[in-house]
Amino acid sequence: MSEVDMAVIKPEMMKSYIWLQTADGSIQQVEQEVAMFCPMICHEVIQKGMGSSKNYAISLPQRVNPAMLSLILDYCRFHQVPGRSNKERKSFDEKFIRMDTKRLCELTSAADSLQLKPLVDLTSRALARIIEGKSPEEIREIFHLPDDLTEEEKLEPLKNTTDDPRIRLLNRLYAKKRKELKERQKLKNIEVEEERVDDRSVDDLLSFINGDNGDSKGIKNSKSKKKNRRRKDQQKNTSANEAIKNHNKEPNGLNQVCCSAEVGQTVWAGVGATSNLHDVEDDIFDNKNELDDGDIDDEIDPALKEKIDREVEDFARRLNSDWPERMQEILSFGHERKPVHFSLNGNGSLRRYANSEQR
Amino acid sequence: MQKKMAYSFPDEVLEHVFSFIQSDKDRNAVSLVCKSWYEIERWCRRKVFIGNCYAVSPRMVIRRFPEVRSIKLKGKPHFADFNLVPDGWGGYVLPWIAEMAGAYPWLEEIRLKRMVVTDESLELIAKSFKNFKVLVLFSCEGFSTDGLAAIAASCKNLRELDLRESEVDDLSGHWLAHFPETCTSLVSLNISCLRSDEVSFSALERLVGRCPNLRSLRLNRAVTLDKIANILRRAPQLVDFGTGYYAAELQPDVFSNLAGAFSSCKELKSLSGFWDVVPAYLPALYSICPRLTSLNLSYATIQSPDLIKLVSHCPRLQRLLVLDYVEDSGLEELASSCKDLQELRVFPSDPFGAEPNVSLTEQGLVAVSLGCPKLRSVLYFCRRMSNAALVTIAQNRPNLTRFRLCIIEPKTPDYLTLEPLDVGFGAIVEHCKDLSRLSLSGLLTDHVFEYIGTYGKKLEMLSVAFAGDSDLGLHHVLSGCESLRKLEIRDCPFGDKALLANAAKLETMRSLWMSSCAVSFGACKLLGQKMPKLNVEVIDETEPPDSRPESCPVDKLYIYRSVAGPRFDMPPFVWTMDEAVRILH
Repeated sequence: MSEVDMAVIKPEMMKSYIWLQTADGSIQQVEQEVAMFCPMICHEVIQKGMGSSKNYAISLPQRVNPAMLSLILDYCRFHQVPGRSNKERKSFDEKFIRMDTKRLCELTSAADSLQLKPLVDLTSRALARIIEGKSPEEIREIFHLPDDLTEEEKLEPLKNTTDDPRIRLLNRLYAKKRKELKERQKLKNIEVEEERVDDRSVDDLLSFINGDNGDSKGIKNSKSKKKNRRRKDQQKNTSANEAIKNHNKEPNGLNQVCCSAEVGQTVWAGVGATSNLHDVEDDIFDNKNELDDGDIDDEIDPALKEKIDREVEDFARRLNSDWPERMQEILSFGHERKPVHFSLNGNGSLRRYANSEQR
Repeated sequence: MQKKMAYSFPDEVLEHVFSFIQSDKDRNAVSLVCKSWYEIERWCRRKVFIGNCYAVSPRMVIRRFPEVRSIKLKGKPHFADFNLVPDGWGGYVLPWIAEMAGAYPWLEEIRLKRMVVTDESLELIAKSFKNFKVLVLFSCEGFSTDGLAAIAASCKNLRELDLRESEVDDLSGHWLAHFPETCTSLVSLNISCLRSDEVSFSALERLVGRCPNLRSLRLNRAVTLDKIANILRRAPQLVDFGTGYYAAELQPDVFSNLAGAFSSCKELKSLSGFWDVVPAYLPALYSICPRLTSLNLSYATIQSPDLIKLVSHCPRLQRLLVLDYVEDSGLEELASSCKDLQELRVFPSDPFGAEPNVSLTEQGLVAVSLGCPKLRSVLYFCRRMSNAALVTIAQNRPNLTRFRLCIIEPKTPDYLTLEPLDVGFGAIVEHCKDLSRLSLSGLLTDHVFEYIGTYGKKLEMLSVAFAGDSDLGLHHVLSGCESLRKLEIRDCPFGDKALLANAAKLETMRSLWMSSCAVSFGACKLLGQKMPKLNVEVIDETEPPDSRPESCPVDKLYIYRSVAGPRFDMPPFVWTMDEAVRILH
């Protein structure tokens, strides 16, 4: 029989009832005006002509099981009546929503699949109220959720390599070195010592980069910034050995905490960035990959670049491996106020020299 | 193995649930529940609050929350308000603006507190965010009216421009004229901090007249009393209004004009401004007083009798800021008239005078604590206090959440017994179980800190000055106050031991400030070494801390937790104890 035949024989059925089928296979008929309150069902009826008979029952989404359907239909049955006041509706909703969290979740899900927005809002708000004011553990407990975030993920850790300050500092050293080498190339002043870059001590590197800042006491001295630049320029023309000598003459070679800000500014200046306070930690060299700043790289000989890469990697390795040990050493010697020098012997291990003690 | 199946939702449903969860604390909790919630939450996070701009980098924020529309940042420590933080310390917003300009083209709101904002930053905001709506600069500095002109000219949908308590280089009042004639979107305008006497009043009038949604307008001093009526008549829908000078020769027609203008503002609930008040003009306010819920008279040099008259007309008052001219008698009137009072702030009219100039004592506060059942928040400057009064206040008002008492002379004892005020403050923390903010003053020993550590379980912010005897005091606070987020201390004999013993606690707090205490440089370095998630910064304007023996105390110390590592914008007088930076530099 066709649909039209059905309509003639059983007009009351066509007029009043919609056939719905839930995922478990069970089929039921529901008053039309109630079912049509759900946009999804409405759409099926009007656009696709479904729901008029048992054979043409509307297949409801999987998330709507019979229990949820029953609840939803209760909701629709109440709200589809036009005459009700806002107060009545609100009162109904408040009572309706009182159920355990599991059912509330299922209901939210089911209402969403039927596109019944008012009910989705009602249930979502109820869930939000359950979540509010609770700790993550409590929320996990209520919704049976796994505790699968690592401690690191929870904390936005520094271990995300690009943001580790040590890596950032290394990147800065790296960029600075390349820039200096590029400048040196321009001046056609490439010395043999540069090939032996690996043998130079950590403090040599630093003094090189910092322009051998001997003005350790100058705090608010704005002139010292220019002084540093001049010294740096001078140093470019000297050999690495001289650099070592110059540095060794300076007491407190590394303990130039006082100059951190000034030195910081000279580092910026050398890097070629604008020398103002805009260059905070997230400057252009945020990420090793981004170090390939077109301007600088284009002009460096690849072989030299490789050497720099190795040098920086080496430096990084030493930094990371000996860190705790070195810190103990520094701090335990802090009391005696002796100048502390670090230098690397041939096989890469770190040795500390102080005036009167040697290990 | 899980006992029960996790409730599964489609992501959109969960996102919809999250849309009803807006508080920062709840959003943060949601994001830490599990991986999938973390992911969903971060994509639909629209508002971010960063209590310390150095705790995280702009890039990290952007990476984690790609769709932010509203950001709130705080910069300098609170003690900057008392000139304890030297100029140039930091708190620059430009790096944030620069990053956000690229990453958040649809950013709508920027709210800043205690940050350095430059004209360059303002210009960058003006040209980067096409849908920019809200700019709040609370206690900021570093910019001029030129920057404001850029904002006014470019932000076509500007709703809020609030410069409260900022220091603005007031080059010209004509920046107001940069608001185009097409700008009709303003809802809130607060220019009360501008000092210039040449505010372009005609531009202001026209602006006010063409913004039908203007709800809050706070004028600056330059706007004279006779001009108020004109402004009010153009904006009768105002809910919050700040006058300029409220002084002029008493003229009947000016008075009646003013009174009429006020009475036509049927929605007006909040008043402020009132520099230089001529009391005879106060009755012009009487028509709106019955509706007033908030009254800020903290600049008004009105004497007690006039204040009493005014306050007695305001039965619905919830919030009152006033100078100590109000005196005990005024506060007694307040206690009997204003049963809805929730917040009271009494400021000193002559803090540096040797003798009291007004009759304001602990009695006024006791009266208010007795008469106002809804009182929650108190800031009270006075010259004498007793344990008995504090105990009475605590017993009267256990619902206090903020209690800041400032006895003007440091180390003032109980004026009746000459004992320390330990017991009084102890009663406050014991009875007021929801106390979240406390400021101490007067003569205090380690005992008060024992009480605070024992009872102050909900305490989030504690301000201490000239108090305590030993490290034990600090130890009680750090080990006992579970909810502590901000601790600021000055001139107390707290040294290394308590700090180092409670180092782990510092990672659970936003920040710790200690100035003129007894923390040694060595301890600072050790802290910097041991605690990589803390930034330990020593501030010393005279000489580098390592030019003295390690056992020497540092001048000022600011410790805050950070996932961004040490900052690189420190001025020469700020030294980081971060080992990497110290070694490599």
